[in-house]
Amino acid sequence: MMKTLVAAAAALALSAGFAAAESKPVRIGFSIAKTGLFSKAAPSQMTAYELWRDQVNAKGGLDVAGTKRKIVFVWYDDESKPAKSAQIYEKLITNDRVDLLLAPWGTPHHLSVAGVVEKHKFPMVGNTAASVALRKIKPGYIWFPTSSFPDRNAAELAKLAKAQGIKSVAVIANVLPFSQENRQFLLPALKSAGIAVKVDEKYPPNIKDMTPILTKIKSAKVDGVLALSYPDDSFLYMKQAREIGVKAKMEFLLVGPTIPVFAKAFGKRADGILTIGHWSPYQTSWPRAKAFFEAYVAKYKSEPDYLDSALAYMSLEILEQAVAKAGLDKAKLRQAIATGTFETINGKVRFKGVENVATPTAFLQIQGGKMHIVWPKSIATAAYQSR
Amino acid sequence: METILSGQLLFSALVIGSVYALTGLGLNLVYGTMRLLNIAHGDLAMLGAYLAFWLFNLGQVSPLLAAPLAVIGAAGLGALAYFGLFRRQIERAPTVEKLEANSLLLFLGLSVIVQNLASLAFTASPRAVTYLDAIYRIGGVSMTGNRLVMLGVSALICVGTAIFLRRSVYGLAIKALIQNRSAASVVGVNVGRVQLASMMLGFGLAGLAGALLSMTEQISPFMGFPFTIAAFVVIIMGGLGNLLGGVLAGFLLGFVEIYGVVLTSSNARSIILYGVFVGVLLLRPQGLLGGRRIAR
Repeated sequence: MMKTLVAAAAALALSAGFAAAESKPVRIGFSIAKTGLFSKAAPSQMTAYELWRDQVNAKGGLDVAGTKRKIVFVWYDDESKPAKSAQIYEKLITNDRVDLLLAPWGTPHHLSVAGVVEKHKFPMVGNTAASVALRKIKPGYIWFPTSSFPDRNAAELAKLAKAQGIKSVAVIANVLPFSQENRQFLLPALKSAGIAVKVDEKYPPNIKDMTPILTKIKSAKVDGVLALSYPDDSFLYMKQAREIGVKAKMEFLLVGPTIPVFAKAFGKRADGILTIGHWSPYQTSWPRAKAFFEAYVAKYKSEPDYLDSALAYMSLEILEQAVAKAGLDKAKLRQAIATGTFETINGKVRFKGVENVATPTAFLQIQGGKMHIVWPKSIATAAYQSR
Repeated sequence: METILSGQLLFSALVIGSVYALTGLGLNLVYGTMRLLNIAHGDLAMLGAYLAFWLFNLGQVSPLLAAPLAVIGAAGLGALAYFGLFRRQIERAPTVEKLEANSLLLFLGLSVIVQNLASLAFTASPRAVTYLDAIYRIGGVSMTGNRLVMLGVSALICVGTAIFLRRSVYGLAIKALIQNRSAASVVGVNVGRVQLASMMLGFGLAGLAGALLSMTEQISPFMGFPFTIAAFVVIIMGGLGNLLGGVLAGFLLGFVEIYGVVLTSSNARSIILYGVFVGVLLLRPQGLLGGRRIAR
């Protein structure tokens, strides 16, 4: 009797074990700037991650080379410290033994984590990073879907300005790296386009009042203001430029206008503001774009960040399609990402080295509260409008 | 030269100075009367800003109506902090230095907790309130309504506080406490009550500053820290515990920030600002108006 019971129990345990193995979830790890300097920016990435996880799980799970498995996230706060995120990815790989990795937020963190994924030969699709320094990473285990590399931005922005008949501009730049990198390429690009730079100013990230700079711009009477700004100073610019009465045909803000709170805060006044970005839900030749936009709005009652949320979601689509093809084997997965062409909300994506070579560098303009691609013509969703 | 004399710059200097003066004032009250270094001061302003944001967003309540509520709310937190944490500290600390050090650590802890709770409750996504942003042109200077209100309210509060400290019994008691604690208690000042009142007033002023800032700044759980730093610079430069000195230093820094940048470059902002701060302290280690009056 006892024997049968034990056998039955063993059989039960065994079958439970098998059942568990069958539905064993895919564990996906990442670090995120929950606190610290970047914590304001990171939610737009996290929301895209969570939306995707819920969508995939609702469909029955992630397709791992034919088997559907639910997704669970394993994540830690990196306190906005790049070194900390490297430690976290080390732990995710060696200690938590996650099946897949998603990217942390921001260029410094990507650069910091690149070494870790390379060391462990663990492929990871990056997202919210843009710097020419990314091209110096040894290609192989990390990829960047962005097309907003500073040198490419600068060249295209000069072209766009020239096409709009802009003759003179003011260039004001935050001293933070992304702004400075763009400035470094923008000044020569403007020069060769024959556009005069009448005001060229740098300012610190903690600037609280732009009156002195804006008075200079106002009296210089320029056709365009190219502000290589971050979100906080983009806000400050919008408030104070209007107060002081800066009038320019073209107003460009580097980072900030794609954040949902921006359009909300400035309403009609934001119309005509130009910014970097290569995704818009209004591009009908990208069928996934609108679906993502609508699902996001339904879940969060707020629009996605047109840069970070879109990039984050693209990286997930790429990973999802690569895993469907190659499964979880790191070498096969790496091969699939490096050589595949992926359908994303931003159209087709294909990598050469670390860089996405399918998506053109583009600019967004706020028109009637909507974010439209206005440059280049090949993917534009609306014509450029003067301010 | 034309730019330097423009009223636009003067207005900006006054607005930014008034923000510094207002944030410094509350901090100074708490330090002056109790020797507590409130490193969570800016976080109270953050809570005030969120209160204004939510009331505006959910109930279309004007931030100007939210401001008194923020004062009451923050003052309530002040009472809570006083009874819950600091009364015992003040009574038991063997020396003033020990009390200052303890309070710094306690407030740092509170600051971290408040920031992270706010981040959990409201998410870290930045928010904004668009209110009173019509532009007025007065004598060639254009100003948005919210910055005008900021300047007006801050000026009113600074003047009001000065009058309160000179004319009202409570104000005199607060001053007495700032000048000499034990003597104040000997002449019959109810030290405990005055301390509680100062704490509530100091916290309340931070809440008020936050509600006003909600109209001009982006609101996020971590917005408070720069204001804490600014407030500390202001009160140290004005003379710790010297309320008038703090207000003076606030406006001085506002002017230095705006005109310093005009004369040099925006990039030199921090160098000029902290240069003046260090310079003042080199010449007058006790601060602009600090020193004798309080030490005696």
